[in-house]
Amino acid sequence: MRKLKALTVSVLATGLITGCGLGTAGGYVRSGELAGPVADVNLEGASIAVGSKDFTEQAILGKMMVILAQSAGADTQDLTNVPGSQSVRQAMLQGIMDFQWEYTGTAWITYLGNVDPIVDDQEQFDAVQDADAEFGLHWVQPSAVNNTYAMMMTRERSEELGVTAMSDLAELDESDLTYCIAAEFASRNDGFEPMLEHYDIPPASPDQRRMMDQGATFQATANGECAFGQTTATDGRIPALDLVVLEDDLAYFPKYNLSGVIGEELYELYPQVEDLVIPLTERLDNETMAELNARVDVDGEEPGDVAWDFLVQEGYLIDE
Amino acid sequence: MNRLRNATREDRLLLIGLPIFVGLLLIGWAIWRSNASLDEIETRLLTWQNIGTLTWEHLLIVVVCAVLVVGTAVPVGILLTRPGTRGAIGPVLGVANAGQAAPVVGVIVLLALLLGFGFWVAVLALTLYAFLPVLANTVTGLRGVEPSLIEAARGMGMSGTQVLLRVELPIAIPVIMTGVRTALVLLVGAGAFASFIDAGGLGLLIQTGILMFRFSILVSGALLVAALALTVEWVGRLLEVIVKPGGLA
Repeated sequence: MRKLKALTVSVLATGLITGCGLGTAGGYVRSGELAGPVADVNLEGASIAVGSKDFTEQAILGKMMVILAQSAGADTQDLTNVPGSQSVRQAMLQGIMDFQWEYTGTAWITYLGNVDPIVDDQEQFDAVQDADAEFGLHWVQPSAVNNTYAMMMTRERSEELGVTAMSDLAELDESDLTYCIAAEFASRNDGFEPMLEHYDIPPASPDQRRMMDQGATFQATANGECAFGQTTATDGRIPALDLVVLEDDLAYFPKYNLSGVIGEELYELYPQVEDLVIPLTERLDNETMAELNARVDVDGEEPGDVAWDFLVQEGYLIDE
Repeated sequence: MNRLRNATREDRLLLIGLPIFVGLLLIGWAIWRSNASLDEIETRLLTWQNIGTLTWEHLLIVVVCAVLVVGTAVPVGILLTRPGTRGAIGPVLGVANAGQAAPVVGVIVLLALLLGFGFWVAVLALTLYAFLPVLANTVTGLRGVEPSLIEAARGMGMSGTQVLLRVELPIAIPVIMTGVRTALVLLVGAGAFASFIDAGGLGLLIQTGILMFRFSILVSGALLVAALALTVEWVGRLLEVIVKPGGLA
């Protein structure tokens, strides 16, 4: 394990050293003049490496932080769009990255190795905050963005069957209960089979279950390959393909609330980094996040541009 | 048995060594699996029954694809080396090359979105992918037959079909079989992508292992795919030794 960590870090470090002069796949970012709730934050003299994972939402959020940190006068390194949650986690633990956006459930289940999630958002956040403090990582506060698993269906089918919430599924005929799910969801403790049990839905036979790549579930659901597709709640393809997310009315799914995570070293020297993160955390919610994601995934815009537009529109930034 | 004696030293070594190696690999894995303490996520995936099902699904895809690939690529290769159709060789090889060059994972998911998910679409995508090595080796093998041998056979009064069956194919068999073996091993590896489109297979373990950061699941999947690939390679070699005509060593 130690060897593996060392290897991961050395590979990452090599990538970072050789990749210095290049913009990332998320596009080039500018800086402006801070305004509104973040107008007074000053990070002159701080050096911040902002990391993110390699999916759309992470790229957009990462770019927002890069822009804000740069505008606050920090010497900012853009390490957004790194493949794999684990690489980012290791880089945070080793101090290669100083900031990332992370989700409570991911840390709790995947990194900290817990098997069962905590139902309440705030309690789950507190537990993660406590546990990660030992690893020198400071979790700021939970946002309303909860990128948890969810089940989705086409609007048409939802109206036809009169289904809007998960508990409606228990009333349906077996022939209407077909699912498109990805490997990860099928194997998790907060995943498929326990979900059916929780909602008193009969176990799915192999005929009712279609296993596929996470990225394929949207089109497959829209194409009618299955009635119910598995998704994560903030994906931009949900509004784009006119799909609806079912309400988790009996609170089954774990909480994946978004939070800024700051490395110990940076937080001790420049605690005001929090003041950049908190207004964003309080402003963002699932709907806003899905719209921003759709601008990249559906309209083909650059994450860096989407991040910039949002910050200017919301009045955190004045275009210089 | 005398077939085995006619086989090359490398063949003999591999024919005996491969099954022993794969056996040891599987026994080692089974011992680990019996004694490992697994968490709930690992237990969900690594049940003996689930491993059996996934291996069977994987094997089925490989076998069906192999039959389709050999059944189509060898006749096409034969046709392309007959006088009169040689002009078509370039375009056909071009198409086969494209099939080989396209990333399997992309092709398989795109085809699924166009044609639907499941077993047969995975078979179609993987067949396109493994078509080239068999076709190219069939063409190469048949072109490599000494023209003087063919002329001699014609001179003895054989028909075109007889020349093909009695002279050309027997001489080209080793090269064709090498292509088949390559294709089989490619299929086992690429078969791991079938799990992306509801066609099952051992890829599910690899994919889940990566996503969930469970090395036990990831390595189990990779190890079983490797064992399957080596087994298929061994079957290919065995077939080659069996069908290789005597006296043509």
